[in-house]
Amino acid sequence: MTRDETAADSFFTRHQFLIYRLFSLAGLLPVGAFLVVHLLTNSSILGGAESFQDRVDTIHGLGPLLVPVEIAFIFLPILFHAVVGFVIIAGGMPNVGSYPYAGNIRYTLQRASGMIAFAFIVWHLVHLHWLGAPFRGTALPGFDPHHASSTLAVAMASLGMNLLYAIGMLAAVYHFANGLWSLGITWGVWTSPAAMRRANWLSVGVGAVLALAGLGSLVGIRRIDVDSARALEERRGEARRMLEGGVPATPAAVSADVGT
Amino acid sequence: MIAPAHSSDPSSSGSGEEQRAIRVRILRQDAPGQESYWERHVVPYEPNMNVISVLQRIAAGARAADGRPVAPVAWDCNCLEEVCGSCTMLINGATRMACSALVDRLLEDGEEIELRPMSKFPVVRDLVVDRRRLFRGLEKVKAWVPVDDSYDHGAGPRISPEEQEDAYPLSTCMSCGCCLEACPQYVKIEPVRRDGEAPEAFAERRQGAFDRGFVGAHAISQAMLFNSHPTGKMIADERLETLTAPGGIQMCGNAQNCVAVCPKGIPLTRSIARAGRSATLWAIKRLFDR
Ligand code: HEM
Ligand code: SF4
Ligand code: SF4
Ligand code: FES
Repeated sequence: MTRDETAADSFFTRHQFLIYRLFSLAGLLPVGAFLVVHLLTNSSILGGAESFQDRVDTIHGLGPLLVPVEIAFIFLPILFHAVVGFVIIAGGMPNVGSYPYAGNIRYTLQRASGMIAFAFIVWHLVHLHWLGAPFRGTALPGFDPHHASSTLAVAMASLGMNLLYAIGMLAAVYHFANGLWSLGITWGVWTSPAAMRRANWLSVGVGAVLALAGLGSLVGIRRIDVDSARALEERRGEARRMLEGGVPATPAAVSADVGT
Repeated sequence: MIAPAHSSDPSSSGSGEEQRAIRVRILRQDAPGQESYWERHVVPYEPNMNVISVLQRIAAGARAADGRPVAPVAWDCNCLEEVCGSCTMLINGATRMACSALVDRLLEDGEEIELRPMSKFPVVRDLVVDRRRLFRGLEKVKAWVPVDDSYDHGAGPRISPEEQEDAYPLSTCMSCGCCLEACPQYVKIEPVRRDGEAPEAFAERRQGAFDRGFVGAHAISQAMLFNSHPTGKMIADERLETLTAPGGIQMCGNAQNCVAVCPKGIPLTRSIARAGRSATLWAIKRLFDR
């Protein structure tokens, strides 16, 4: 491949250092931090429908602020990181064939996992998120935050879907964990070979915890019984509506809620 | 066809050793910008050959394996002891110094030796490449100590043994370019002179293209070497300015191939991480010092 750059320097070229450093930072904060919170939150479904609904309610407790927060701290940073990421990928020439060293394999996997994670995130939004609702159609039921566990269990019923999520999630986890190691070099946190080896263990640890949390969530979802989860969610819904002073709750629902 | 590549019959002992031959496959190119083509050569085996001595036999014979007379294959070399850095090429697919590539070892990999010019620099002819961009990288980061006058400045500052031990390995860089050849982020830049373009205009355009490209691990490491030198340090900021300019340290993707292939075993990734740290601190300082 030959590159003959003759055009005047673009905005991207002139501010390359700043943009790459912001790209790197975005991978950690907020995107990486979000990934950690997201996977750990999801794993609460291992504790059953109730505990998962608690977490979901906490997040949706942000009310009208949720959408702007999601856009500012999740979507735009991921989009920025992904766009710069694709530019970086296009500018490199992977060569693991000629130089099959561990570091080079990790470099190549970092790029592959970024692209897989991107495709997966797009699918994930179409599949479950409100952003994807217009693209979803009726074939996919989506996720309803008031019926968190039951809608999730329906959406995740097939084995193929579980496999897809496992691959997408593991790609994102690898990308973040290996990115953490690489980020420490980029910013100069670890500089000696010994420090890089120690940092490597940090990455392995973070990656292992997140991978377990992610796979655990998939197991947790499979353990959900749709009917009883829906019954529980209905009861909580009644109680919530009553607290908000909306629809008057029936005495039966209230007593059932107190009973649990 | 000339003689077979191997004496296939071990029972014909004695004369077997003399008949043994080395087969070489070379990616040739007659001039810059022309198509490259493969050519096979056969040279008689001698003990303790290196790739340069094979190339000398090939040049002396000036015949391809099929007996056709061909122009001698061109290559670069000088010191023949792995210190000048001029004989870098792709030997069996990997970047290394031809003078220290021993034929007996190479034949352990396979029967034929494959030689290609470096892929990240424009080919001048056959195995000779134009490494101008590599030296431009050193120029960009001012890889020197700035003492350009004839005054007697007295003894320089002391350098502790620890600092010397840290700096010495970096100072052994021989500008061979192996680190650049193996780097997935160092992509070939080969501007072509346009019809009617003045040589000066072309040189300037080429320099601009080089300067926007990745400066490379060797230059980053040299920048760190001279930024750690008590006198070299005086222009540390200028070096960091270059390292954070387009094509600077940010282009590194931490593949760490450079450190794996460097024939001098220079701790390049330590230099890169140190440069990353310096660049971080420098960028913060700049942000608040303006
Ligand atoms: C799941 C969300 C993602 C997270 C948490 C994340 C996180 C990170 C982190 C922490 C780094 C290390 C930065 C450094 O070395 O300084 C990184 C690097 C990288 N990311 Fe992402 N990333 C995500 C998604 C993506 C996507 C969708 C792409 C687009 C293809 C992408 C492409 C890249 C590339 C190419 C690198 C390597 C840059 C280099 O080493 O020069 N990432 N990412
Ligand atoms: S660590 Fe950086 S300079 Fe070295 S080979 Fe990898 S990308 Fe190139
Ligand atoms: S750093 Fe090593 S590989 Fe790179 S030019 Fe110097 S000696 Fe060669
Ligand atoms: S001839 Fe000098 S390094 Fe090979």
